[in-house]
Amino acid sequence: MLKIRNGRDFVGGLTMICVALLFIWFGRDLEVGNSFQMGPGYFPTMLSLVLIAIGVLIIVQSITVHAEEGEPEAWNWRGYFLVIVGPVFFGLALSGLGLAPTIFLLVVGVAAASKHANWRHSILLALFLSVCSVFLFTRLLSLPISAFGPWLPFFGDL
Amino acid sequence: MDIFSNLLLGASTAFLPMNLFYGFVGCLLGTAIGVLPGLGPTATIAMLLPITFGLPPESALIMLAGIFYGAQYGGSTTAILINLPGESSSVVTAIDGYQMARNGRAGAALATAALGSFFAGTVATILLALAAPPLAAVALNFGPAEYFSLMVLGLVASVALASGSLLKAMAMIVFGLILGTVGTDVESGTPRYVFDIPELYDGLNFVAVSMGIFGLCEILRNLEHERKRSVGIKKVSGLMLTKDEFKRVRGPVLRGTALGSFLGVLPGGGAMLASFAAYAMEKRLSPNRAQFGKGAIEGVAAPESANNAGAQTSFIPMLTLGIPGNPVMALMVGAMILQGITPGPNVISDEPALFWGMIVSMWSGNLMLVILNLPLIGLWVRMLTVPYHLLFPAIIGFCCIGAYSINNSVFDVFMMAGFSVVGFALSKLRFEPAPLLLGFVLGSMLEENLRRAMLISQGDPMIFLRSPLSLSLLIFALIVLALVLSPSISRKREEAFTE
Repeated sequence: MLKIRNGRDFVGGLTMICVALLFIWFGRDLEVGNSFQMGPGYFPTMLSLVLIAIGVLIIVQSITVHAEEGEPEAWNWRGYFLVIVGPVFFGLALSGLGLAPTIFLLVVGVAAASKHANWRHSILLALFLSVCSVFLFTRLLSLPISAFGPWLPFFGDL
Repeated sequence: MDIFSNLLLGASTAFLPMNLFYGFVGCLLGTAIGVLPGLGPTATIAMLLPITFGLPPESALIMLAGIFYGAQYGGSTTAILINLPGESSSVVTAIDGYQMARNGRAGAALATAALGSFFAGTVATILLALAAPPLAAVALNFGPAEYFSLMVLGLVASVALASGSLLKAMAMIVFGLILGTVGTDVESGTPRYVFDIPELYDGLNFVAVSMGIFGLCEILRNLEHERKRSVGIKKVSGLMLTKDEFKRVRGPVLRGTALGSFLGVLPGGGAMLASFAAYAMEKRLSPNRAQFGKGAIEGVAAPESANNAGAQTSFIPMLTLGIPGNPVMALMVGAMILQGITPGPNVISDEPALFWGMIVSMWSGNLMLVILNLPLIGLWVRMLTVPYHLLFPAIIGFCCIGAYSINNSVFDVFMMAGFSVVGFALSKLRFEPAPLLLGFVLGSMLEENLRRAMLISQGDPMIFLRSPLSLSLLIFALIVLALVLSPSISRKREEAFTE
């Protein structure tokens, strides 16, 4: 029975193999060609094969070599969720709400990811940052985003 | 002498008020992020790439460069004052620097760090000016086979000098290379891995990827271990070194500069490796080695000089050959491409004002940094009291705006979020993201050169071995690989990285 000595690396190697297989699968229609006339599929497929080999080696290593003692993992699921969804929200809301409200909501939302956050700080920071970013990006750097977008009926024409 | 006229051209570019201003901004920002733990030059430069789009190329690169070597200065401040290195390259400085602070010699430590860094920066700038033209001239004779082998050497060396598992670093490089193939294949016009998404026809957006993997992912990791930063700093007084101290630092500064300059040029080398190596070397050579760890001033002088020298000489391969040796250089390559400049040996002849302007700006930047770091030290100390929970939302906000602003496309923001997940998953599996970025940047160049070489040789892979230059580069890569795999060296690596 194979004893996996380093679980994390085992998963890591497996992940690499899966990634490589994904690239091979999605690139299966690309013409590989030969080494003289390399088609579009040559380089990615070759690299994916190399990645599979490396993945296998990592798995072999995970079976033979003990994992080092590390710090216990800390997980901050609320933090991850907010920080990942934050930019997604930004992307979705930007054209509708405009820069100022989007930044405001983004900052308030994302700040809640921290243990040390408190509402007053976050709201002040969000106000400060939305004013700064509108000033910096739309006035100074002439980014083509409006400060307030069409979803806000009153401000939309500012 | 030709070099004088080049330096004059550089000075005329670097001393333009606008470039001085942007250089100053870069150095200021660099020091600031160097001081703040949790924010490094890689993430900052990635965040600022979109802004540089609107600037003329010289100003953009001068500013970004200033951020990079400025961070080396700033990182030492917190390392010395509160034993919290702001930068990975300042970790070693904290060992003796903090002890010196506890012994009441904080001012001397800070002064040594700043002045040693300035000396190293000056020397490195001169080296850059002297070495670059001949290197570029040699590189102009490079054919695709030589380029391919050089890039292979660069990738192998960066794996070798990276911390952590070699296999995993190699996996990251290959992964990065594959990611670089996403988009329309230049040769055949065929879309690869595009899934009919129009924004992907030009490939994955480099800035979005790097902001996701470095900036956002870093925040995700930092949010796991939040600590209240306790800042108990006594007032720093007395920035002067005693005569004895001055004599003691002369050797370490010189040696650190030399070692740092050498290690910085190597691909994968750079500031952090230089500082570690210089500390280890100085410890072995110094007559005062018993004091190391308890506040030996040599333990501050050597690594600080080395990290600055290393940071600046790492520009050499990037500016002359177009090959980035570390993630920051990869970002600089990205910045140049954004500006429409193809990095490579022709930069020095096509854009001499840019090239020499950058070199001279490094020297003026170092001067600005000494001024910023010594008299203004109180300012930085006060900055340390900014809590992280106020900082990171601002970073996320800027990242979002930045990602959007490159192509006015929301898709890039989504891509950044996506890559933050990728980067996070990778870091949980203990894969380092830096080699991925290197592979990503080099991917298309590697493929192009491989293709051309194969075309020239009509499919014969022996072409890489027939050219003497290419052969020696590949042999060198093999030697590096063998050295790293050999048990004695790997033990030394372990030691160096556990310290």
